Amino acid sequence: MENILQISHLNKSYNGIPALKNVNLSVRAGEIHGLVGANGSGKTTLMNILFGQPVIHETGGYQGEIAFAGRRIEFKNCSQAISCGIGMVHQEFALIPDLTVAENIKLGREHTLAFTDRLLGRQFSYIDNRHDRASSLQALRKLGIELDPDIKIMDLSINLKQFVEIAREIDRTDLRLLILDEPTAVLSQDNSWMLLEILREMSGRGIGILFISHRLEEIQAVCDRVSVLRDGELVARYEKNHIHINQLARDMIGHSVIKAAAGKRKIEARPLITFRKFSVAMPGEEIKNLDLNVYEGEIIGLTSLPGHGKLALGYGMMGLYPVAGEVWFNNERIVRMDAMDNIVKGIYALPDDRQGLGILADQSLENNIVFTANQAKNMFSRSSLFPFLSMLDHRRTVPHVEKMVQDFDIKCASFKQKVRELSGGNQQKVCIARALTAEPRLLFVAEPTRGVDISAREKILSMLIEINRTRNMTIVFASSELDELQRVCDRIAVMVQGKIFKILSPDSPEVDFALALSGETGMDDDV
Amino acid sequence: MKAKAPLNCYFNHERIVPAVFLVLSFLAWQISGLTGSFVLNQVITRFIRDGLLVLALIIPVVAGMGLNFSITVGAMAIQTSLLLVIAYNIEGVPGILLVMVIGIFLSVLLGYVLGRILNRVKGKEMITTIIIGFFVNSIYQLIFLVGFGTVIPVFNQEIILTRGIGVRNTVDLGMYRNTIDKLWLFSIGEIQIPLFMILIVLLFAGGIYYILHTRFGRQVQAVGSAAETCAVLGIDTDRVRIKVMILSTVLAALGQFIYLQNIGMFDVYTAHLNTGIISCAALLAGGASIKSAKVRQALLGIFLFHTLFIVSPQAGQHLFRNAALGEYFRSFVAYGTIALALIVNVGNENRPIQRK
Repeated sequence: MENILQISHLNKSYNGIPALKNVNLSVRAGEIHGLVGANGSGKTTLMNILFGQPVIHETGGYQGEIAFAGRRIEFKNCSQAISCGIGMVHQEFALIPDLTVAENIKLGREHTLAFTDRLLGRQFSYIDNRHDRASSLQALRKLGIELDPDIKIMDLSINLKQFVEIAREIDRTDLRLLILDEPTAVLSQDNSWMLLEILREMSGRGIGILFISHRLEEIQAVCDRVSVLRDGELVARYEKNHIHINQLARDMIGHSVIKAAAGKRKIEARPLITFRKFSVAMPGEEIKNLDLNVYEGEIIGLTSLPGHGKLALGYGMMGLYPVAGEVWFNNERIVRMDAMDNIVKGIYALPDDRQGLGILADQSLENNIVFTANQAKNMFSRSSLFPFLSMLDHRRTVPHVEKMVQDFDIKCASFKQKVRELSGGNQQKVCIARALTAEPRLLFVAEPTRGVDISAREKILSMLIEINRTRNMTIVFASSELDELQRVCDRIAVMVQGKIFKILSPDSPEVDFALALSGETGMDDDV
Repeated sequence: MKAKAPLNCYFNHERIVPAVFLVLSFLAWQISGLTGSFVLNQVITRFIRDGLLVLALIIPVVAGMGLNFSITVGAMAIQTSLLLVIAYNIEGVPGILLVMVIGIFLSVLLGYVLGRILNRVKGKEMITTIIIGFFVNSIYQLIFLVGFGTVIPVFNQEIILTRGIGVRNTVDLGMYRNTIDKLWLFSIGEIQIPLFMILIVLLFAGGIYYILHTRFGRQVQAVGSAAETCAVLGIDTDRVRIKVMILSTVLAALGQFIYLQNIGMFDVYTAHLNTGIISCAALLAGGASIKSAKVRQALLGIFLFHTLFIVSPQAGQHLFRNAALGEYFRSFVAYGTIALALIVNVGNENRPIQRK
């Protein structure tokens, strides 16, 4: 069969940091080509290049050659890709919330009244809603669901949105290559298999399919070939019948060098915080009925695929999203999630959205470090009759900030420098320093090393270990970087669909983690 | 949450605001002591005067750009063209057509520039359009205060100040008056119905409705709902927004022309100043918001808002024996409507979206 897509020697870097290194990949017409890789392995970048996302062009384009149906292509925007016959099912859904199901499915390909088409041209011809509704119903039926095409997208649940997203691409008649980014992540088992059936049928019609999934079982079942990406490189490729789940999991993670690492130990203390049927309604990252004990003095890791809830725990404790269920902290029930109350009690949460919620970007380094401690506990104010009116006491803040800057190796021009001007890694260190200044007993951190270079990453990890060991601070460490969690944590909880799926020891084989992350119990056919 | 849902359906701003206006207008009309036919005649006149200006606001709202206060720019475009044509003494129907052609040309140009500007300030369109309106106003005043008679030669001495430079405060449009207003005019009892003009407004209303139901309209809706997602779906957001602004500005220009020729004379330096505020308030009175607007809301809004607008000074005079209070009440109504709409919308925006 001919290659519909041929990628050769593809290189892409963001600000000098390579995201893809010499990738060669081809998709034949009528083939289902699987693509697997851990978070940050470059899958998204590859998709963005193929679909002509503007972000690629804006960050300096790419090197290498991509041929589509024998013609060399270099898309500058998505509409070029779409008009070539490339379709994409986006992981985050490219759906317009205020439009209805039918309007979304037919967007850009609406049936119009032929009469106005001739009279006023394509752009200004009247849309035939009845026709659109009927054909979108047909596309949805192919997926095996009955859905009122007049419901607005924003009123749909997440798995129905996924169906609409897929239906939009199925409905296209000009499709030649379909890219699916984690289409089954939010679907139930049955629905997933139904989708795989449809993909098989589509590939039978000669459509090339690039299928990305974390569910290795599906990859094994449906793909003709599978390629594995790791750290921007293509490390393995298997033909059908040679695809083994454990092998794929091993290839995805690779062999990592152990760097900053905590000594192994067993924590048998009393629970410091207990969650019972705890739910957090954070859109896209919901926690549902989570039960978890966090022991005093431990570092517990939280990991999951995106959207399965690892980030929401800290946000829930800060009261940023509605919560339900019971939380017992230090044998005392927390009734109301209020950030200030919780900080006073000794709970501090560092969010993953560092720019938006972590730092006070236009304030000085000094103010950033002492801000929370001073607001919550009035630790750095001059004594006065009305504490809330008193001025910051620089004789006390300066030595403290000095110590923090030294301890954590924060690189700055002066204490008065605006935090906005610091690098991402240093901003994160400032965040942790601020958390420490408030002297919490329990610290939630989320993705502290995201977008941080390697040396700063190691520094941040060793900071976390150090504050845990020297100050007996309990840490809940949510991250998608499994390798970091294994180095730092005493236990690692793997979350699937907002619940704790399995709690693993950091020494567990990596295959176990890969299986747990994809929600599989680990009993396998090819062992 | 579930129990509340049906209540929200019936008691949202789409229904509450028009209902409040209806009650207020009725009460004010009772107090004012004006006859029903007088009020109705006035409302019909204002429906024609203001119709297109209000309709010009719909598409920008749907495109997520909020209330386009810069329809004053379109108004100034047509006034410029009007003054130019009067300055060269072109009368009658050819004059009207020429005014239209120049006005549309100018407003397409200005609409394009506005679109480009608004693409740079996404999310802050409303405040930008207000300020641009003020800014263009000062350029406009400069041109007609200083430019006419110096840089621009004038062949019609009637519109020039006695010193020979600058346009008079008020220019008579006698040469265009009653050319289209009185077409197909008939009366039912005391009520006069200029059918032709009403049909013109309804035609444009139909046109807006039509545009919103075309492929282009769908794109406008998509851009208004989720601009970032549109790029992924192959829609050029910036181009759509520019087209929207051009459409809106042209409509505003035509609307202002109907407005001026209906009044029969115009205040060169002030006629356009309140178009933005009044039109926006009328649209909102019909139940539209800065996030969603429909043609029927515009039509309903014009009726409700102007009814209150007409009867409130009289009502003020009867209640407080003071006409100035009624005048005050007019601006209270206009600005109050807009302020309320802004607060309601911002409040809705901040509410977490959890509708499962």
